[in-house]
Amino acid sequence: MNIYDAIFYLFAVVTGLSAFFVVTTRNIVYAAFFLLFTFFGVAGIYVLLGADFIAIVQLIIYVGGILILLLFGVMLTNKITSVQIKTGTLQIVPAAVGVGLFAGFLIAVLTYTEWKTVDTALPLTTTEFLGVMLLQEYLVVFELLGILLLIALIGAASIARR
Amino acid sequence: MHIQIEYYLILSAFMFIVGVVGVLTRRNAIVVFMSIELMLNSANLTMVAFSSYLGNAVGQLFVFFVMAVAAAEAAVGLAIIIALFRNKLTINIDELNILKW
Amino acid sequence: MELSINYILNELNFIKPELVISISIVLIVFTDLIFDKRKQILPVISLISLLITGYFVIEQFGMNTFAIAPAGSKGMLAVDPFGAFFKMVVLFASFIIILFSINSSEIKLSSDRHGEYYTLIFGMILGMLFVISAADLILIYISLELLSLSSYVLAGFTKQSLRNSEASLKYLIYGGVSSGIMLFGISIIYGITGSTNLYEINSLIQAPQLPNITFILASILIFTGIGFKISAAPFHFWTPDVYEGAPIPITAYLSIASKAAGFALLIRFVKVTFIQSINTEGYWQLLNIIDWKTFVVLISILSMTLGNFAALWQNNLKRLLAYSSIAHAGYLLLGLAVLSNQGLLAIIIYFAIYAFMNLGAFLIVMLIANKTGSEDMDDYNGLGFTSPLLSVSLAIFFISLTGLPPTAGFIAKLYLFIALIDAEMITVAVIALLNTVVSLYYYVRVLKHLYLVKAEPDTPIIGVSALNTVLILMLLIPTLVFGIYFTPIVDFAKVSVSLLGF
Repeated sequence: MNIYDAIFYLFAVVTGLSAFFVVTTRNIVYAAFFLLFTFFGVAGIYVLLGADFIAIVQLIIYVGGILILLLFGVMLTNKITSVQIKTGTLQIVPAAVGVGLFAGFLIAVLTYTEWKTVDTALPLTTTEFLGVMLLQEYLVVFELLGILLLIALIGAASIARR
Repeated sequence: MHIQIEYYLILSAFMFIVGVVGVLTRRNAIVVFMSIELMLNSANLTMVAFSSYLGNAVGQLFVFFVMAVAAAEAAVGLAIIIALFRNKLTINIDELNILKW
Repeated sequence: MELSINYILNELNFIKPELVISISIVLIVFTDLIFDKRKQILPVISLISLLITGYFVIEQFGMNTFAIAPAGSKGMLAVDPFGAFFKMVVLFASFIIILFSINSSEIKLSSDRHGEYYTLIFGMILGMLFVISAADLILIYISLELLSLSSYVLAGFTKQSLRNSEASLKYLIYGGVSSGIMLFGISIIYGITGSTNLYEINSLIQAPQLPNITFILASILIFTGIGFKISAAPFHFWTPDVYEGAPIPITAYLSIASKAAGFALLIRFVKVTFIQSINTEGYWQLLNIIDWKTFVVLISILSMTLGNFAALWQNNLKRLLAYSSIAHAGYLLLGLAVLSNQGLLAIIIYFAIYAFMNLGAFLIVMLIANKTGSEDMDDYNGLGFTSPLLSVSLAIFFISLTGLPPTAGFIAKLYLFIALIDAEMITVAVIALLNTVVSLYYYVRVLKHLYLVKAEPDTPIIGVSALNTVLILMLLIPTLVFGIYFTPIVDFAKVSVSLLGF
């Protein structure tokens, strides 16, 4: 087992375990902190996969943005410990069977598919050509994303302000 | 690359399933929101893994877009949760659900 | 590969409608900031820019090309008559909805936030226009999210009402989950093919040694995201709650425009990605990967049956219309299940007519709710005697939604059944027919409350202003005329069936 494998298993265990605890812990603040470890673990795996730019963006956006936002949400709404968002009472047993079957199917399919892989690796630093793609082939999507952020800003402000 | 791509896929499938379980079982809107973030992260992980094993940069670009969208969605989502929270304070707690099946 | 500025300017010619909408967003934001006290000019700006957009969309009926296509790859957008038709439906619905909003007492309540309201409506329109013509999974995802984010906020727009906020949160949760599932599907398809462009994926998967089961899984995951938007049966859970909770103009908008965008996306996804060839009679020969016919028929029967039977017990008109909209999604899916150009023709005719009759039904519900403050069926007692115009119109819209002659709804269903029978799907046609009979019961139940219960002294008399009368007639006259003289709509639909490349 070489060093890459060890790093992968380390990050995989961190990510998987903390993801598991996010949904099982009863304390919502703990859940937010476990989510932090999940995001860090995923960022580590991105580095391992050679996606340096995406790894940094993951840290900036998820850890620096979304997580802080979620924590603010927790702080502002800590009085309601359980907003019931589902009206139908879900049967636990059928749900468990359903999710179990889906999980088995998903993992079986992902494992037994022969994914085609190519040896030509991407360049070592990805930032440059991602930037070029962003402003050439995907210019329209990039601009649309700008409008999406504007709309999200206006929508969030209009609904959250008193 | 020493690790086979299946390992990454299994990890992301695990995260995805955990996210689905969280959405189905948790009652707190913010935790449900965290579970949705887990699902998005797992899809991102899949995409970056494929991108790196296919030597194709489009996947990484897509992940970049998805992250921006996820941030926007989180902002809107929390705004909605806070608006709901304000209304709930003014109303009888027994009446948690006005809209029923 | 260098992109010159001339190239970009040239490509912009193909996305003129989207450009006009984007400019309008900015214009509305600035108008709202500068003329803070005069909110009434916002709808005027909106209506004018919709008319301009409509002009550019009509131009697109003559086009059949990729847009934003960098050298060596297929385009991000497919500009074709099929897309132009659905864009027309979206723009028409938006036009009517803005007229609704001027009248709605729910929207008037929060008049200080009208700038945000119209900005978000235009955000939705932009998202839908891009969804309808997107040919790239990245663009599909981003524009679907733009559409969803604006509609989450709009569903909870009048934040004073708890009903609104709840609807908004439910919509957000279900929407977030379904878009997450869809994204996972997209990532698997990307993993199999290494491409995100639907046309490129189509040429890549022609090779026989494909991991079929993986592709089926990915397609079903993507279908979840689209099924959520069109409120087809196993993904319909949000529909009744959100339709009941949201302000009525937004409910009406979701039931037409966002459904139209979803159907355009679904048809483009199925046809473009999986097509092998089209035979001379217009039947699509799909790749032997996933049995779309059986799958869509199952979903559609489930939607129809569930929608129609659940509607039987509803006492709230908005909820009733929500279940009826699930059922209509089922009928529309049957047109796709035929997998032929004739089925597509039936969907297009159905949508053109459905827009008039469903918007009309919501308009009447809104006008009555403006006066009585509720959508409960018991509040409709005896209205047939005190408010004849509204009641007669509602009766006609409901008869049309059922699909009885001589209304336009009959023509819509007729073309659908002809397509089904031509494709020898007799069993399915019979099931759809039985469903129509069931739907008759709940529509007639409303009419019973209107006409068979005697008017009490306290039954309100609902006056209709001149603008509202014009609006009702705008929706009512086509519903009646197209039932008798339907050649123009069929000719229009025949122009609109052509998708880019096929």
